[in-house]
Amino acid sequence: MKIFSIFMLLFLIGSSIAVSLMKNLFGAIIVFMVYSLIMAILWQQLNAPDLAITEAAVGAGITTLLFVLTLKKIKGVKR
Amino acid sequence: MKSTILYEVSKFLIPIIQLFGIYIIFHGHLSPGGGFAGGTIIGAGLILYRIVFGEEKAQEKLKYTKLLNLMCGSLITYGILKGYSFIVGGSNVHLFDIPLGKPGDILSGGLILPLNICVGIVVSVVIYFLFNLFYEGEI
Repeated sequence: MKIFSIFMLLFLIGSSIAVSLMKNLFGAIIVFMVYSLIMAILWQQLNAPDLAITEAAVGAGITTLLFVLTLKKIKGVKR
Repeated sequence: MKSTILYEVSKFLIPIIQLFGIYIIFHGHLSPGGGFAGGTIIGAGLILYRIVFGEEKAQEKLKYTKLLNLMCGSLITYGILKGYSFIVGGSNVHLFDIPLGKPGDILSGGLILPLNICVGIVVSVVIYFLFNLFYEGEI
């Protein structure tokens, strides 16, 4: 399981750098959701399932929904 | 939003989401989870209902005044229960000891189960209201 955790940590660092470098706003929101999902898996690997449930519900669910709604309000989605 | 696939799938999926949230709240003192995590999952189920079934049906099922009364009532209940626990437990006044029950049962652990239920109701209603504020500017 240690190799899996190291792989997930590398993926976490890569996605957090990609959020700040991305030009497309909608893509940045989706990559931020992926970051939150990997963080939930890492909490479970660190023996904290309580935090994993909360991160998966709030970080990957509610926050992404509010970001997408705000992007729709300010008309930032390019079609 | 009009889509037959979304309509049928969410009609099957929303009860399961809400049942999972209720399970997490009720097992908050035995397994991982608790009031906040379960309340967030129930709130996500309510948001899915609001998106798929439209405004009129959601306003009919989830009235504003009813939800606000539920939220304020559970907040007042939380204050009363926790205040009772502070006053009685802190100063060694043995007025009425809450029965503790057998460890491992659902009805055990004293006041943790009712406090978890109150927190779950408040969190789910607040998340539904927050989504409505973002979605159309008013609740």
